[in-house]
Amino acid sequence: MRERAGSTAAAVALTVLAVAVVVVPLVELGRVVPAGGSAALTRVLHSPGFGSAAAHSGELAVLVPAVAVPVGTGLALVLRRPDVPCRGLLRLLIVLPLLVPQFVLGYSWSQAYGRGGFSQQLLGAHWAGLNGAVGVVVVLVVDAVPLCFLISSAALAVRAQPQLEQAARVSGAGWWACTRTVTLPMLRPVLAAEVVITAVAALESFAVPQVLGTPAGYQTMTTRVYADLALGSDPALFTDAVVLSLALVVLVALVVLPSDVLLAPRLRTAPAPSPAGPAGPSRRGPPGMLVACVIGAYCVVVALVPTAAIVLAAVTRAVGRAPTPSNWTLDNFRAALDAPTRAAIGHSLELAALAALILTVLGVSAAALGRRGWGRLLGTVVIAPFAIPGSALAVGLLIAYDRRIGGTLALILLAYLAKFWALAHRTLSGAVDRVPPDESRAAHTSGAGPLATARTIWLPALTPALVGAGLLVFVSALHEVTMSSLLYSTGNETLAVAVLNSQELGEVPTTAALSVVLTAMLLVAAVPAWLAMVLARRRRAASQPVWSAVEVADAR
Amino acid sequence: MQTATHHVRRSRRWCRAVLATLLIASVPACATSSTSAASPALTLYTCASANVEQAVVTAFRATHPGTAVKVFRAPTGQLNARVSADTRSGGIRADVIWACDPLTMHGYDEQGLLASWQPPNAAAIPAAYRTPHFAGVDVLYVVVVVRSGQPAPATWMDLTASRFHGPIAIPSPTFAASALGLMGYFASAPNYGMNYYRSLKRNGAVQVDTPADALTGVEQGTYAVGVTLANAAYADQKKGSPIQVVWPRPGGVAVYAPIGITTKPHRSTLAASFASFVASTTGQRVLARNGTYPVLPRLGGPPIPAGARVAVPDWPSLFSQYKRLLAEYSSIYG
Amino acid sequence: MPGEPPAVECRELSVNYGRTPALEAVTLTVARGELVAVLGASGSGKSTLLHAIAGLVPPARGEVWLSGRCVATRQRCDPAERRDIGLVFQNIALWPHLTALDTVAYPLRRARHSRRDSNAQAQQLLERLGIGHLADRRPGELSGGQQQRVGLARALARSPVAFLLDEPTAHLDTHLRAAFQASVRDRRAETGAAALYATHDASEALALADRVAVLVDGRMVQVGVPELVYAEPVSAAAAELTGAFTVVTATVAAAGPAQVSVDLGSGPMIVAGGGLRLGPDPVVARVLLRPDWVVVPGEVPGRVVVSAFRGAHTDYQFETDIGAVHAQLPGPPRLAVGAPVTWGFARAWVLPVEAARRAEPIRLTPAR
Repeated sequence: MRERAGSTAAAVALTVLAVAVVVVPLVELGRVVPAGGSAALTRVLHSPGFGSAAAHSGELAVLVPAVAVPVGTGLALVLRRPDVPCRGLLRLLIVLPLLVPQFVLGYSWSQAYGRGGFSQQLLGAHWAGLNGAVGVVVVLVVDAVPLCFLISSAALAVRAQPQLEQAARVSGAGWWACTRTVTLPMLRPVLAAEVVITAVAALESFAVPQVLGTPAGYQTMTTRVYADLALGSDPALFTDAVVLSLALVVLVALVVLPSDVLLAPRLRTAPAPSPAGPAGPSRRGPPGMLVACVIGAYCVVVALVPTAAIVLAAVTRAVGRAPTPSNWTLDNFRAALDAPTRAAIGHSLELAALAALILTVLGVSAAALGRRGWGRLLGTVVIAPFAIPGSALAVGLLIAYDRRIGGTLALILLAYLAKFWALAHRTLSGAVDRVPPDESRAAHTSGAGPLATARTIWLPALTPALVGAGLLVFVSALHEVTMSSLLYSTGNETLAVAVLNSQELGEVPTTAALSVVLTAMLLVAAVPAWLAMVLARRRRAASQPVWSAVEVADAR
Repeated sequence: MQTATHHVRRSRRWCRAVLATLLIASVPACATSSTSAASPALTLYTCASANVEQAVVTAFRATHPGTAVKVFRAPTGQLNARVSADTRSGGIRADVIWACDPLTMHGYDEQGLLASWQPPNAAAIPAAYRTPHFAGVDVLYVVVVVRSGQPAPATWMDLTASRFHGPIAIPSPTFAASALGLMGYFASAPNYGMNYYRSLKRNGAVQVDTPADALTGVEQGTYAVGVTLANAAYADQKKGSPIQVVWPRPGGVAVYAPIGITTKPHRSTLAASFASFVASTTGQRVLARNGTYPVLPRLGGPPIPAGARVAVPDWPSLFSQYKRLLAEYSSIYG
Repeated sequence: MPGEPPAVECRELSVNYGRTPALEAVTLTVARGELVAVLGASGSGKSTLLHAIAGLVPPARGEVWLSGRCVATRQRCDPAERRDIGLVFQNIALWPHLTALDTVAYPLRRARHSRRDSNAQAQQLLERLGIGHLADRRPGELSGGQQQRVGLARALARSPVAFLLDEPTAHLDTHLRAAFQASVRDRRAETGAAALYATHDASEALALADRVAVLVDGRMVQVGVPELVYAEPVSAAAAELTGAFTVVTATVAAAGPAQVSVDLGSGPMIVAGGGLRLGPDPVVARVLLRPDWVVVPGEVPGRVVVSAFRGAHTDYQFETDIGAVHAQLPGPPRLAVGAPVTWGFARAWVLPVEAARRAEPIRLTPAR
């Protein structure tokens, strides 16, 4: 009886939280649209360019996942091959674009491949398509690939059932047939999660379409929302912006609901636990070295060159100066790291870490609690704020909570929770439903309490997924600019305030220096995390020899 | 049944974890919420850049010791969103609003957010930069930048000539109020009109979002010519960016940044003092020292080349027709 | 058929996991149609051997040949899908997203059979194994035995040169186990395929196999017909795998063809048996006595301490001056616990000296 009460309490707590951070702000936002909302809707729908903006947003929502999910998952699959050299380095390079804030992504690409950029200086050629639809799609894909790669890698680590793949190989399936018929179907729920996340992220993206799309007249729903807000001291335009934002939520619901129903039916798995081990030595296809070279080339093009552009911008005196040593300076870092900015970075780090912690816990709880209707409903509800443009969501939060907790970091934290809940939920729900119930039952009957079970059974199994989800939330929250620039108050500045200021002044070098500092900090922070992971793996390996893959099976 | 029990048990421990985390999370929130001052306080909403705003606030506090100034500083879009949220949850929270363009300020005024106010030295401020509810305190000049060593246009019309054919970056009036001011000026300027934008487009003009984007683009070499703000261009030039700043005839287009006090029910008594301070000679000098053009003449600030002219849009007529102009603009640049 | 290459051949095959050796210099030949049981304790390398033959782990040294074709050397290792092998996994390894029919049709589809053809053959295979009516179920909806049969059907579908069965009955009830073994036998007889059957169960290995290969710590210590492996183990460790036994110390000498003289202290007894490297000169050695070799009455005195009725026979433990002795006598219990008894043995096997280093405990419980 007590157990049931606990479960109900947890469900109630989650529901209350979801209502508080998601439903209330959205409802408040909806109430902004006055009684004559239908008039506003008609006005928005018939305004010039609305059709093409909606079409462009839809196009991004389709194209970005269509490319990013296969590429990210493909990289994750290929990098499992033990014969590919330098796998650790390649993994890091693939994830690198994730650490580069979106607000410098557009700049870095135009500096790398645009007119007058590196490629033109070195090779005499630039990519004319960078400004326009193709450029926006490509850069958004590059931004989404690390996310898909992380989620797929985590899922492969959690779901790795080498014997199922071995069974396919022994049945005559080559690497590709095995991947297509066994590995990928096993990953289906996570792939669905990736499609939803990348589609919604593409819908919501603003910085990249703004920098690369606008010059080619490529408008999206979000750039329109921001344009409306920029002139939004006119209440009608503000209403238009809100209506557009809510229309975006509807658009997302149209994308997400069917995919939730169609793509992610639960796989009832026979408990076929097999300890992780080598997936098989059968190396067909191109040799590991070649694979490494191809991935390496990809990393150079999408990660290293644009990142180098940012680093060079950060150390160069002024935009337009040749990035040669005679023009180098550390002044930009000095400007980027003055006392207020340092305090702001501190706040952002705190908030991002808290958001990551809370959301991983929430994500796992929700996924564990609600495998059926309730959980799915929650999964769909929390996707809404992820889709809505940041400023609109922030307005909803301000209306709902500013009188109570305005002027505190708590309001920003609430915004992060609302915005990134979907990220954690979607990443984790796929992984959680694979922890076989028998394993927890076995722990219970062995005398483990709920916490001990969580620590000893769940945590080890879910570590890759938890780390992945936490990292995604952390980085996204750290790079979040729009909402925090609306919700901060004196003494509670976040990084966004510094970023927007230098951006607004056109101080690219300072913005670049800030991004470099952030990325470097993340990399430095990643080292202990990575070491911990390696150590944990070693310890596990020590207690269970590497070759246990097969031999432990003997013991059964 | 067994599965159900299992889920229940699992959920209980997650429930605990959630509650514990929420408790932890609420600690910093409580800690920060207690920072409120008992001294006279003032809330300022502004989109002035951080260094300018900070310098002005510091100078003001030097003349009004013990004053706590709460600042919300954000780009215009965010400022609008914040004000809209305020008005929908109990009314404006700011005592003073210092915007970056007259149009935004006019919008606030239309909503009844601005009180009747004029600075004591109103007479010294050009009439074109004032309304009964707000007054300009600094000016942004929309000018042209080209890379060093490249031919410079003598007039705005030159940009439509074949020798300037190529990528010309113009900021979007749907995004930047300064660009809107520019468009408002050309729309009613003799020989220009909205057709000017059509000619620009034919000559290779591309739309970027903000004047800063145009500036960066020219510095990077992405665009040959850009339309941007003079103060930012001079600042970059000083740092070493290879650009030249051109004030084409009929002139650099002036967009003034106005300040005003609000109709907040218990408005701070310091609101008018602060707004007047920014408009005063002392305040204007602070602005000039921090890289903006003060609205009062002969106080310094970034350079204005000898012989350069200033063109002032007819803001009151723009207030009434900017939507029509924007629609026309959108039909040209999509 | 003379001249025909063996179905499976391992030559000095070694496999390492990291730096840990899992198999060391295993040499084994399985002829076409032959069933070889690989008998070994947990962790002895049974699965590794099967996986190396299947192509799931590469050899560190040595070679694997299938039907006269070298498929794996240290340098070159054909992947599993290019070897003609049917593997039944120990934990079955059914794909959760595929129905029984799709699972069994899978290898056929990979061999480029048409979908209709594959499904028809798969259905036939399922019918044969008595689970045709379960064709559209997924693994989650099948019992352990049914899953095992689907796994077997999947291996059979490939018509391989050799079946590799990795403890396939580990999860099965006794009666299912018998049925399963029968179906393996039948199917193998039909196709003439060889089979390697990894198990730790002595009775299963001895009953099924044409020959038994004994693996101890990654080394193949003995290969032979079941009777030989049972009666003449090369070491106590090998003996342990094939059933219960008692080891006693005695003075022994060869006493003619297949005869051995054993002196437990009360004078030499000549019985059937022998020993490796045993000469006519008497030496002190450790002698292995299988429980069923013990006879009552005999010349050695002792006392019954344990009696356990097993149905067809009864297990006893005798306490004697030379230690505890395990005996297995037909029929219901005839000797009372505590009663004195005299015993002897009809057969004895002298363990090689170096193999006797481990003092093996005397086990009363016969192999399950």
